[in-house]
Amino acid sequence: MKKLATLRSSMPTSARLLFTLLLTIVALGITFSLTALDDSKLAGGAAIAIVIVGLSWLIGWSGQVSLGNSGFMAIGAYATAIWANHHATTPVVFTLLLATICGAAGGLVLALPSTRLRGPYLAGMTLAFSFAITPLALNFPSVTGGSGGLFLNFLSAPKWFANLFSGSQALIRANAQWSADVAIVVAAVAFFFMANLFHSRTGRAMRLIRDNDVAAELTGVNLQRTRTLAFVISAAYAGLGGSLLTLLTGSVSPQTYSLPLSILLLTLMVLGGIGTLSGAVLGGLIYSYSDNLVSLINKVTGISSASTFGANLKGIVFGVLLILTMLLAPRGLVGMGGRLLSLVKRRSAES
Amino acid sequence: MIHVEELSVSYGAVKALRNVTFSAPTGRITAVLGSNGAGKTTLLRTISGLVKPSSGTIHCDKTALVGMATEDIARFGLGHVPEGRGVIAEFTIEENLRLGVLASQVSAAEGLERQFELFPVLGERRKQYASTLSGGERQMLAMARALIGRPSFLLLDEPSLGLAPLVTAEMMRTISSLCLSENLTVILVEQNAKSALRIAHDAVVLHLGSVIASGTAESVASDSDLRRYYLGLVQ
Amino acid sequence: MGSFLSSRIITVLLGGISSGVVIALVALSLVIIWKSTHVLNFAQGAMGMLAAFVGMNLVFKGVNYWLCLVISLAMGLVVGGITERVLIRPLYGKPEINPIVVMVGFLGVIEAAIPSIWKSNFNAVPAPFSQIYYQSHGHTILVSPFVIYQVALALGVMGAVALLFQYTDLGLQMRAAALAPEVSRLLGVRVNRLLTLGWILSSGVGALAAVIVSSGQSLAPTNMDGIFVSAFIAAAVGGLESPLGAITGGLLIGITESFILNYWSTNMAPLAGVIVLVISLAIRPQGIFTRNVTRRV
Repeated sequence: MKKLATLRSSMPTSARLLFTLLLTIVALGITFSLTALDDSKLAGGAAIAIVIVGLSWLIGWSGQVSLGNSGFMAIGAYATAIWANHHATTPVVFTLLLATICGAAGGLVLALPSTRLRGPYLAGMTLAFSFAITPLALNFPSVTGGSGGLFLNFLSAPKWFANLFSGSQALIRANAQWSADVAIVVAAVAFFFMANLFHSRTGRAMRLIRDNDVAAELTGVNLQRTRTLAFVISAAYAGLGGSLLTLLTGSVSPQTYSLPLSILLLTLMVLGGIGTLSGAVLGGLIYSYSDNLVSLINKVTGISSASTFGANLKGIVFGVLLILTMLLAPRGLVGMGGRLLSLVKRRSAES
Repeated sequence: MIHVEELSVSYGAVKALRNVTFSAPTGRITAVLGSNGAGKTTLLRTISGLVKPSSGTIHCDKTALVGMATEDIARFGLGHVPEGRGVIAEFTIEENLRLGVLASQVSAAEGLERQFELFPVLGERRKQYASTLSGGERQMLAMARALIGRPSFLLLDEPSLGLAPLVTAEMMRTISSLCLSENLTVILVEQNAKSALRIAHDAVVLHLGSVIASGTAESVASDSDLRRYYLGLVQ
Repeated sequence: MGSFLSSRIITVLLGGISSGVVIALVALSLVIIWKSTHVLNFAQGAMGMLAAFVGMNLVFKGVNYWLCLVISLAMGLVVGGITERVLIRPLYGKPEINPIVVMVGFLGVIEAAIPSIWKSNFNAVPAPFSQIYYQSHGHTILVSPFVIYQVALALGVMGAVALLFQYTDLGLQMRAAALAPEVSRLLGVRVNRLLTLGWILSSGVGALAAVIVSSGQSLAPTNMDGIFVSAFIAAAVGGLESPLGAITGGLLIGITESFILNYWSTNMAPLAGVIVLVISLAIRPQGIFTRNVTRRV
């Protein structure tokens, strides 16, 4: 019965649009009250959240495992940097779209041989891809800038926006908040599309495939096409996220988009909650504030961040969190929140 | 003797067995009959410890089986030929049999020799993969594998399934003579009531998880209502 | 003969085989785990390195190389057993993504924990045999006693694993537990213990692979990363179920890598796996050594 309920669309599209708009406005409002540092953290988190929601869509809803999304991010990032260096005046929207398309194209190329494959093989293929990105970037320095990477102008606030700020560091604050606001709007659009996709025909077909691919095929779902589509969409989201991240930081380097990033993405997705939009948002927030979390642990335990142990603390903390989440609360923070909520409801109903 | 007392099994909200009580005496074949979904396979799987009962007890002679692990029940001396025979197709005949003897006190050489005597067909083809065997030969292999460790109790789940009538008849004769020569306690689950009742000493009829009749095979076989409504036997 | 053995193509081939056997060995260890528990162990390389760190670090304290090797192996066995009991056992019957995620997490923990425990001075482990290449009639053949040792140890371990699975009762039970767990239990096989044993064995093999890789070079936590990725692809190329397929895949990737290194570019070597995978998928999508089996629903 539960399964049937999730198959039904929970909200009409117009309601989803309204909901997204509302949340976006609230988020934009919040950026006004934040410091420049928090604003730029938030911007990075929004970019990562886009990638996570794409991954979540692939893993949580179509049941395919990809470790290659850092590679698609790299495609988006390099496309952005290369384009921006040749056409500096291009509107941001266009650059983002271009990078999204490049990511999708990369996804399609990789999907053609791999979506025929089931889980483990796909994981192997994407793992190999994610491992090959750094060497590929290093091998074509004339295009990618080699190990030094590429630089471009990062997002800066337009005049009318900058004029809203005054006092010392006005420009820094304006730029930080502008980039956060742009990132939030881009993420909102991406999430809105994803919410509709979840409830679309394709989304339902994917869930059927995940639960039982043979049965899905018997009911007339085209397995290969649906799987390929799922993979391509996920890659497009990674491309978009990579592009946004590049615009925010103003640089690309080949080492950023290697296997550890894929692992980090997987971790954030699981911590937030696989297959949910809110989980992806939480994952992005955890990304933004992971350094704060680690320094908090440093402070509480007294481990110096300068010691070798302190330097590796982040890796250990994330690894342990990932393992514990999967073993104890496999549906992540969202699942825990949901359980808590139903517990509270039951309590209040009993009393 | 296998004694089942007030045994109930649930799969979620579905009750697969309801307060099932019966005894399978030593040295005799007890047929468990009933239509599809009557709970026959569940009964055997519960005796073997593959399914945990919600209540009730199972005793093999004096030993209580409920709560024991499947492996330990097998080592204790209960052979179970599962539905679909469970022959490992990727193994040779000899490997299948060796697997059966490893957990017992019997030595592999001695066990193999005995089973090849009982089932000469298997001995001739010992190095062949089980995937090359016919349905009847697979059933023989599955029985040989269950018997090779010299169990005192034997559970057979639909041994006649998918076999030609002549092969079924031969299979039933083999079961009958094994029960006699080894003094086995046999529980024979069958949908094919006619051939099962021909060799069984006692019979239990299950319907929707409950025992609706039990007694000697003759008494069950001669009850015309049972024959018509539950066993699908028309005069 | 000497000029033939030192000719470029043979040199490249020999180099490919000597790195390929290690990839093959790790691929084999992945297949053992996959067959017994249907888990893709993403931490296999890292677990091997952890064991090698415990054992081989003692070399720097003056302990004999061979004793260190044995200690590494023992550690590998222990790590494998504990991992299965603590991290994997609770996840049986859960979606296939769950153990993957847990092992990815474990990979992260190990790679961050090793430099924390052993600090960052990754010294070179001395090679137990001479690393000077053989000469033949004035030509250098890119094979040294040390290379022969590496290849021989890897092949020896593979042979031992093959013998265990094919010819012993334990191997028979392990194969049965993997193929038909329920039937095996009905025959009194203690399946749960054998699953743990599969992990123990596989992790031991992984530890030996890590020792082979880390001998004669610096002991670093990431030594196995590239090899693990290649091994993973090798196992996939072989269809994941087939030990022979995994070994063949490993050798193919090693040789391809060597050709890329020598004829194309050092940077492109990590592409070897992708190339072999794509080609093998084009030829036989179900894996080169898998029979066509209908998938159970």
